[in-house]
Amino acid sequence: MSQGAHSGGDQTIAPALLAGDRRTIARTISQIEHGAVSAGALSAALAPHLGRAHVLGITGAPGAGKSTLLHAMLGELLARGRSIGVVAVDPSSPISGGAVLGDRVRMGEHGAHPDVFIRSLATRGHLGGLSRSTEEIVDVLDAAGFDTIIIETVGAGQSEVEIMRVADTRIVACPPGLGDSVQAIKAGILEIADVLVVTKSDLPGADATARDLKDMLHLRANPAAGAWSVPVLRSCASTGEGVAELIDRLDEHVRIAGRGQRLQARAKPAATGPAADVEPWVHALAAADPFVRSLGITCTQAGRGSATVTLRLKPQHLNFNGTCHGGVVFTLADTAFGLASNSYGKVAAGIDAHITYQQAARAGDCLQAHAMEVSRSRKLAVYRVDVSRADGAVVSSFTGTVYITGIDVAVPAGAAVSGDDVGRGAG
Amino acid sequence: MNQAVIPKVLVTKIGFDGHDRGSRVVAAGLRDAGMEVIYTPPWQEIATVVKLATEEDVDVIGISSLATDHLIVPKLMSALREAGLADIAVIVGGIVPDEDEATLLAAGVARVFHPGSAMADIASYVRELTAAGRSRRVAA
Amino acid sequence: MNKSIDGKLLSEAEVFATWQRDYAASMGADKQVVNRSGVPIQPIYTSRDWNAGERAADLGMPGQAPFTRGIYASMHRGKTWSQRQLTGLGTPAEYNARLLEVLAQGATAVSPIPCNSVFRGYDMDESHIELLGTCGTVINTTSHMDRALQGVDLAQISCAQNDPTPFTLLAFMLATARRRGTDWKMISGTSNQSDYLSHYVANHMFFRIALPGARRILTDHIEFCNRFLPRWNPMSVVGQHTQQAGATPAESMAFTLCTAIQNARDCVARGMDPDQFLPRFTFFFDVSISFFEEIAKFRAARRIWAGIARDQLGARDPRSWRFKFHAQTSGVDLTRQQPLNNISRVTVQAMAGILGGLQSLHTDAFDEALSCPSEFGARIAIATQNVLREEAHLTDVIDPLGGSYYVETLTDQMQAEIERVMKIVEEAGGMYKAVEAGLVQGMIGESARRFQQQVDSGAQTVVGVNAYCVEEDSSARPVNTRPDRASMQSLIDEFKAFKAERSQGDVQRALDALARAAGDARDNVFGRVVEAAEAGCTHGEICHTLRREMGFGNVQAIV
Repeated sequence: MSQGAHSGGDQTIAPALLAGDRRTIARTISQIEHGAVSAGALSAALAPHLGRAHVLGITGAPGAGKSTLLHAMLGELLARGRSIGVVAVDPSSPISGGAVLGDRVRMGEHGAHPDVFIRSLATRGHLGGLSRSTEEIVDVLDAAGFDTIIIETVGAGQSEVEIMRVADTRIVACPPGLGDSVQAIKAGILEIADVLVVTKSDLPGADATARDLKDMLHLRANPAAGAWSVPVLRSCASTGEGVAELIDRLDEHVRIAGRGQRLQARAKPAATGPAADVEPWVHALAAADPFVRSLGITCTQAGRGSATVTLRLKPQHLNFNGTCHGGVVFTLADTAFGLASNSYGKVAAGIDAHITYQQAARAGDCLQAHAMEVSRSRKLAVYRVDVSRADGAVVSSFTGTVYITGIDVAVPAGAAVSGDDVGRGAG
Repeated sequence: MNQAVIPKVLVTKIGFDGHDRGSRVVAAGLRDAGMEVIYTPPWQEIATVVKLATEEDVDVIGISSLATDHLIVPKLMSALREAGLADIAVIVGGIVPDEDEATLLAAGVARVFHPGSAMADIASYVRELTAAGRSRRVAA
Repeated sequence: MNKSIDGKLLSEAEVFATWQRDYAASMGADKQVVNRSGVPIQPIYTSRDWNAGERAADLGMPGQAPFTRGIYASMHRGKTWSQRQLTGLGTPAEYNARLLEVLAQGATAVSPIPCNSVFRGYDMDESHIELLGTCGTVINTTSHMDRALQGVDLAQISCAQNDPTPFTLLAFMLATARRRGTDWKMISGTSNQSDYLSHYVANHMFFRIALPGARRILTDHIEFCNRFLPRWNPMSVVGQHTQQAGATPAESMAFTLCTAIQNARDCVARGMDPDQFLPRFTFFFDVSISFFEEIAKFRAARRIWAGIARDQLGARDPRSWRFKFHAQTSGVDLTRQQPLNNISRVTVQAMAGILGGLQSLHTDAFDEALSCPSEFGARIAIATQNVLREEAHLTDVIDPLGGSYYVETLTDQMQAEIERVMKIVEEAGGMYKAVEAGLVQGMIGESARRFQQQVDSGAQTVVGVNAYCVEEDSSARPVNTRPDRASMQSLIDEFKAFKAERSQGDVQRALDALARAAGDARDNVFGRVVEAAEAGCTHGEICHTLRREMGFGNVQAIV
């Protein structure tokens, strides 16, 4: 049995976990899922053992052939002597909250191989394409010594912003012959993908789809010199064609881009108080905000003193010049600002805000506003928010100051709040 | 952090029978009752079921058996014990003659559900087993 | 004209109106009644619904297109339906003993059920011994088949084989016939379970080889049998599995007819003449307890098939237009609670099949829902057929319900519903494409869910399950006989010895030829299977070879 599984206490890591014992790995993951350990504390304790695994994310519309492709990739990776941990994410039913997790059976006989470990997760209402615990689970698999970790997500490429943060290499699978739908999904795919794969390449339309994707890549802003140029590959999982080449390209990508990117992107741990999980109820705040909802802004990350929100720009967000309305950018930044400053549980009233606009954004762009705490005292706190486009360009910089009241934030009904955090602020 | 307990259940078939209508209905029913279900097609090897239960760390394994496949459930129970998974509860659903039911219970199966069992009864028993299993873990 | 109570003469319209008033008065609110296929059912049917004067002419007579009243002129009055009980247990010797008993009790045809290990394509030395011979007979070689059919003259008695692609059990039977000097031309029977599409959709245990390979082997099989086995029916298109999986009777019939069209087209594409293979197409259906619905279903099917064979498939010989079918009483209607009630259910189901004009019948044992049927239950099942034939005299009149306002109206309505579903499948590109796309599976799932809801809500009563429940007395249940472990172990030991002693060279050559045939469209895979059987190859070896070459039959796991 793994040790030290109490929230708030010091997290000790069982040697069995680091040795790759399957039962220990599985039980540790369960502790994360059941909330029996503080995920942040576990990740902190695992930190010295992280960064070895190459983390791949695979996404794509239903019917794109992700599972078949994944099955073929497993075969090729095993043949190359790698050990693989797979995290397969399926959507929870919005009505019942339950889920049928059927991805692992589509990975066929490789699921029975001793060097393959598969864990199925449900999204449990979490937006962003992953489950809330995915990142911590990836850490566990990394520490357990798997060479490659593959995250298979739900979805069509529209809301997979989270995979950008967690994976080192992001693969998007596209089925051939989509026609007009290619236009519809291109925006999400192109922003996320490091590698595009046209699956079922033996079908008619595969050539045309590959061509269309290459054309669209050329139309985007040119990548900086030396940066990765996104390839459009083809695969036919039933014949095995293209799979070896895909693995070669993935290996090439990680040599350039590096492993463990999610570790660099992590915010500094909170200097004060236990690193508790404030996320769900802050999400609930965003979901309960009528203006935020009306614009289509979604909150994808929230911690103590930080928040990330995103918005895909639609025609109604544009000004008469056809670029993003400044008020929309301000709202996005202000929303992140509000969530980050209220995340301690006390109502934080904005008293001052400045914004500069640096680059334009257009319809179809996916904007992300990330708020970070600059300083916080008993009564005042300052936050900086960067609004960026998916290609990394900074669209806008925002700074805001809040006055911290003594009033508790009214948490929307149904959102569970960490009891020992609300009302304690910085204490 | 308050977390609703969401049971994780493996619904599978071992042996030769391929009739999966019943197991699909149960899988869907458990999902509709708010549980997370790993569903497999029929003809799983016992070793595969053990690996699956290990990796997914399920609360309950549900075996659907229509022909006489329940006759190898005792072999599954031994395999689970050998893998250190004796604390995962196993239930069997399907056509099991009375004299064989006693054998299965003696081998460690928690309960046998016969055809005509109400979905609500299966779901509530799975919740009971899950709650008992998880509190045993916390106590350990 | 009718007279009312006070002596006045009434017109037909007044008579009917009077009934309507009386009915409404005694009923209060009318019930909405719908049969399993969704056809609304009235309280009464009259000449307003089906007028004999207008319709009797195109109803026709038995033995003539469109065959609504029966495919033969004399039907059961001339030749009664075959009593073809499926039986199987244990070792070939144990099966043979039971078979000879069953023949002595009045069965007129043979239909061995193989062990589930055989259905899955495995030999006995690859399977858990606990599961061998529990629900069927273990047959892995020609010698096993020979022993199982000892004392049965293959030239005289019709012997069906229940074996999916690649039909090894028939191959063993043909090898046995050759050993005994029996002329293949005399062998009669059916390749039951040759319908790979029904397996892929609704009976996964029988699905061994991936779809494209299964399709190819079936066409090879039909071609081989048409040439060498003139009295054998290689094609049995199966409606049973889809109906047992939850399809309504009309849907199940529609899927079956579409499958037959698909297979016929594949044969035509191979260069075969419809009049060559259609007379040897047979059908296999479930008969549920929805009595009148089943009778109407079969009558409508005869009519529809005659039209398809002649107009769509271009068959000119009237023998090609005949809809021949075997029926089995539906196991899903039976209950575990108060199992003896199943005897009544099976009786009603059997009557529906007989009055529907079947050619052969299997009646389930009452304990089918408890486990694999016992001898006791099997005996009652056969007796049921004998009672219906010889005490109730159900063979005396051909199509006795013909001309009934209700049955004729319902036949028309079932025809409309069947054709509606057939149109959906044909518009999806035919049965193969519709199945590949999961369309058929989706429709079946919907119907299954709907029916289950009706049972769960109590709208559909199931005696002993959701109504009329009693405290069960479990001593009333028969004890299951399990195969004798010692004799099964001896069989396995003999089998291993056989494998060690046979000519490895012959076996290898035959398996190599089989593997090559799988990749060569000009060769006949089933012909190679027969050669392999004669060379001493085992069932498992043949199945593994073809699975390796043509793909393992995986099933979709859709919840």
